[in-house]
Amino acid sequence: MTGAESGPVEDRRDSWEGPVPVPTGANSEFWAATLEGELVHQHCEECGTAQLYPRAVCTDCGAVDPPFEASSGVGEVYTYTVCHVPGEPGFGDRTPYVVAAVDLEEGPRLLALVDCDPDRVEIGMALEVTFWQVSDEAALPVFVPQ
Amino acid sequence: MAEPIVAGVAESDLGETPDRNWLDNAGIATVRALEDAGLALSDVDGVAVAGGDDYMPALVLSEYLDLEEPSLLEGTEIGGSSFEHFCGHVGDAMARGRADVVVIAYGSTSKTGPGRDRSLEVTHPVDGFLRPTGLFRPPGAYAMAAKRHMHEYGTTEEQLAEIAVSTREWASMNPKAAHQEEITVGDVLESRPVAEPFNLLDCCLVSDGGGAVVLVSAGKARELGVPEISVAGVASTSTHRQDISEMPDMTTTGAAVTGPKAFDEAGITPADVDVAQLYDSFTYTALVTLEELGFCENGEGGSFVEGGTTAPGGELPMNTQGGGLSYCHPGHFGVFVLIEAVRQLRGDYTGDRQVDGAEVAVAHGTGGVLSSSSTVVLRREA
Ligand SMILES: [Zn+2]
Repeated sequence: MTGAESGPVEDRRDSWEGPVPVPTGANSEFWAATLEGELVHQHCEECGTAQLYPRAVCTDCGAVDPPFEASSGVGEVYTYTVCHVPGEPGFGDRTPYVVAAVDLEEGPRLLALVDCDPDRVEIGMALEVTFWQVSDEAALPVFVPQ
Repeated sequence: MAEPIVAGVAESDLGETPDRNWLDNAGIATVRALEDAGLALSDVDGVAVAGGDDYMPALVLSEYLDLEEPSLLEGTEIGGSSFEHFCGHVGDAMARGRADVVVIAYGSTSKTGPGRDRSLEVTHPVDGFLRPTGLFRPPGAYAMAAKRHMHEYGTTEEQLAEIAVSTREWASMNPKAAHQEEITVGDVLESRPVAEPFNLLDCCLVSDGGGAVVLVSAGKARELGVPEISVAGVASTSTHRQDISEMPDMTTTGAAVTGPKAFDEAGITPADVDVAQLYDSFTYTALVTLEELGFCENGEGGSFVEGGTTAPGGELPMNTQGGGLSYCHPGHFGVFVLIEAVRQLRGDYTGDRQVDGAEVAVAHGTGGVLSSSSTVVLRREA
């Protein structure tokens, strides 16, 4: 990893009431990096495939444990929805809120919260990553308009 | 004669079954479907069952029904299309003489039973990336695909609503349907927003209930003297699992692969289909499936469904029991898609509810979040 920061980390551990990811296996390094404000993805040294979510194998050539590298944290909205019904515990006060499939500059696509006015979001909109730290082990990538 | 033959179909009680669990509903549907076929539990060689909040559902249902030395145990869980998927496996087993009577079964208490696990510590390696986004699943996931379709093709919310309206027209003729009062496009657009672009009436119901389909070998069918409704073609595939962002292109589904394969096996084209039963978890699910199965071009599903194309009297009668949108939707709807296709081919109904002279039906299941696709072509043999 390069150690470059992709976006700022805001400590929301006290206020977050939603689900938190528990790092396991191949995704442990991803979640560890989020605590440092780094959005990482796997970039296979054998075949060049860039992938998320993290896996112990490259989905193209099968190489084991493809290494992580930092993403720029910049991407665009492939598609989105505005949730008017909370989908998880802790989201009741947040409706309506935007969830998008974000195409990162490096290729992988990531499902993420977008912290913006629901009337403003559109397909193709440029976004950049920020992080909400929700536990001692993970900060969620949350995107904002660039 | 093509195998397998569908010898019997049935539902359990639908809607709210607070005094039943998933096994009760699957068991009741099973014995009713066997009765419909003129068979008994002692005739059953195996079960094919999905869902049921159980990770060994085939074993649990076999035990519950006290089956003796079952020779086919099929519990592949690929969501709502599992039941169409089973038709292929059961047919293969019958072709090899491994079974003569197999029950495809499903039961659920989605409405009144215990809800899903909502623990806040997400240890599942994929869910850890999904649940913290708060996405309301499954509606929000399908909604994201619909948004992309609207963006690329100009599909409108009004066109999606047309599907809900046409489907409700069919439901108005089904006494078992949860909602039978007619609705308009305006009613759909004005119903409560759920996950944009979906409003409440774009979304399927949440019900309790079960269903079962009895498949038999050609020899057994002749012995029983049942109407010969054959499984003439089957194909299944998947594009991803539960993370909608893993879907390569959200405007197309696995039905683009399974439709042509199943149609080829049956020796038909979409123009030969008299009645279509297409899993409608959401209005968009049915719309995109119409495109992928070749009833219209990609991107033209919106204009295709305008003006009641899929309604009673329309060019392509679809979801003639009222679908998951208006009849029932106990978690996995795939078994009910098969049941209605068979009833139409048998000519079980009267009046406008019956599609006149229906000989070829397509039953298509979609599971997960547009993740699995399974197409079955059913044919009434002359
Ligand atoms: Zn590789």
